[in-house]
Order: sequence, then C-alpha cells, then structure tokens
Amino acid sequence: MRLLMLDAMQWFCIACALFCVLRMLLGPTSADRLVALTVLSSLVLGFLVLRGVRENRALYLDVALVYDIFGFLGFLAIARFLKDKFSDGDSPE
Amino acid sequence: MDTSRLWSLIRFIITAIALLAVWLLFSGSLEPFSLIIGIVGALVIASLTYNEFIAQHDASLRSFLPRPFALAAFSFILVLYLYQSSWFMLLAVLSGRVNPRIVHFRTRLRSDLARMVLSNSITFTPGTITLDLNDDHLTVHWFFCTTSHARAAGDAVKGRMEKHLRKVWL
Amino acid sequence: MTLARELLALLFFASAVIFGIGGIIGLFRFPDPYSRLQAGSLCGTTAIFSIFIGALLLSTSLAVAARVVVIMIFFLVSAPTGSHIVARFAWNSGLQPWKPPLSRRSGYTDRQDEP
Repeated sequence: MRLLMLDAMQWFCIACALFCVLRMLLGPTSADRLVALTVLSSLVLGFLVLRGVRENRALYLDVALVYDIFGFLGFLAIARFLKDKFSDGDSPE
Repeated sequence: MDTSRLWSLIRFIITAIALLAVWLLFSGSLEPFSLIIGIVGALVIASLTYNEFIAQHDASLRSFLPRPFALAAFSFILVLYLYQSSWFMLLAVLSGRVNPRIVHFRTRLRSDLARMVLSNSITFTPGTITLDLNDDHLTVHWFFCTTSHARAAGDAVKGRMEKHLRKVWL
Repeated sequence: MTLARELLALLFFASAVIFGIGGIIGLFRFPDPYSRLQAGSLCGTTAIFSIFIGALLLSTSLAVAARVVVIMIFFLVSAPTGSHIVARFAWNSGLQPWKPPLSRRSGYTDRQDEP
C-alpha cells in the first residue's frame, strides 16, 4: 500500500511535468515559459522527495534540500538575461 | 564603548549564530573537527557580511528577532490559509468566473523583515501575487478583485495575515 | 497506527492529485501570464505541499522525516520567491493584466476602471 502510493504519486508528478513542458513549448511570450518553468521546478522537487522517501535514503533528500534552497537562482538568472536583452532595443515579443 | 560599536557587535554575534545553525543543519554531526571548522567559518563569514545580513538602520533587536511561539503559530495558520484559498482558486479555475486586477495598498508593519514576510505570505497563498514592495507600499495582482479602493483591498488581501504578523514582529 | 497514517497520507495525496489537475487545467485555460501564474501556483505550491505532508506521514526513519520537515520549512520561503521573480519580470516588462469580459467577472462593484 505504502510503496504503491509513493510510486503512483511519482508517476503523477511526471505526468504534470509533461504538461508543463507542453506549456513551455506552446507559451507565446517568454513570461509564459518562465511560469511553466516555476511549476516544473516545484514538480521536480516533489518527485525528488517522493523518491527519497520511497528508497528510504537520507542522501536523496539532501539533494532535494539543496535543490529547494538554490532553485530560484535559475529563474533569477533567466529573468535578468531576458530583461537585459529587451532593454537593448528589441521590443518585447 | 559607544552605542554604534555595541550595535555592530550584537549584529555580528547574531549573524555568526545564524550561520553556525545552518552549518549544523547541513553537516548534521557534532564531531570536534567539523564543529571547529563550522565555528571558524561562521566567524569569518559573519565578519564579512554582518552589514548586509542586518542593516545598520534597524531600530532594535525586536524588529528582526521573532517571538518563536508566535512564529510557529503563524506558519501553521499560513498552511491553513494556503488550503482555504486553494479551494476558492480551484472553484474559480473550474467555473471560469474571475476578475484579475492590480491593486495598491499600504501596510502598517514597521520593520523591513516583517514587511518581507508579509509579501512572501501574500505570494504563497494562491490568488494573490506581490508584484512590487517599496517601503510600505505593496503592488498586488489580485485574482478575485471586488474593489479597487486601497484600504478595502488591503483589508481583504492582507488584513488577517497582518493581524497575526503584528504579534510575531513589532 | 500504520493504517491510520496510510489513510491520512492517502487523503493528502488525493488532495494533491485534485489540486494538481486543477492547476494544470488553469495553466492551459487562462490567456495571460499573471493568471497562469496564479493557477500554476495551485499545482506548484498546494499540490507539492500536500505531497510533502503525505511523504512525511509515510516516512519510516527519523532521519528521513527530519529532512522532509526541513524541506517543508524552506519550501515556505522558496516557493513564493520563484513566483515573485517571474511576476516581477512580467510587471517590469510592462505587461498589463488580462480583463475578462463583463459577463464573466465575479463580484466587482466599482464603476471606474482605473484605481
């Protein structure tokens, strides 16, 4: 029962992540793609925690903890990069 | 020793204690070797960064040290608010009856940390996102807007959280 | 005891599935980035937090449970930070929020459009 639930939730995370990737490919503006990326990163975090609890290994959860704390640096870098690109004279999409 | 020197010392000690707590959390061991490395590292990093960690102009200890029990109670209440507003959000997504709008209002909290926690809590609950925070002026994207009047919108969005936060910080 | 914990975890996992599917529907239904971010936080915050609570209930050893609690505490800070970075990027690039047609608005009483 316990392992079945954890496995099912891992598959659910993967299914939601696939829809987020679809949104990221479809998204008309770069802000839409960033929105899909934030949801995707949260889903990856949930997947890591479920995997660590299922295998019952604390080392996997350390990886999830560091991903949790420093995950937002990626969005910060992408947002800064896009802002610089737009302010160079190109109009936003 | 004059007041500003004493204040710098207090800020330095608090920064070192916070860094040491994070070190203990990550290393997870109390062996002498790792403990000594943690203490030395915490002191060096705190001497470099205590000015950024706690700003000089913060008035007193009360403005950034939370009351621990009130803080624990606030995080529990925040989780309850998360589920409550998620439920409204789910109904709105399924029915499609929404009214997104940008509202501006002011907060009565005085310390910078409490304002940051307030805007963080507003973003954490689905349905409201903080777009900008200038001193005490918040710009919020509100998904179920009922009014554009600043005071009424502020009461509806943050009134309950601000009431609890005033017990945690000054 | 084990059965009670598993039933509670099942409850939280079921709510995670419901909120996650709602968030994905909202991500495809609304037309502008702000609304998508609001709906996406349903999937990215509430569903993930429910998954954490369920995983905490199902963890067997103390080391694993303590790490899940620490991850939950940091998630309270890190989840709004990501949303805020994206919303601030959209706001600074001059994007105006989408307004639904009048017949579909919920409970808006003021007359003027601008605050």
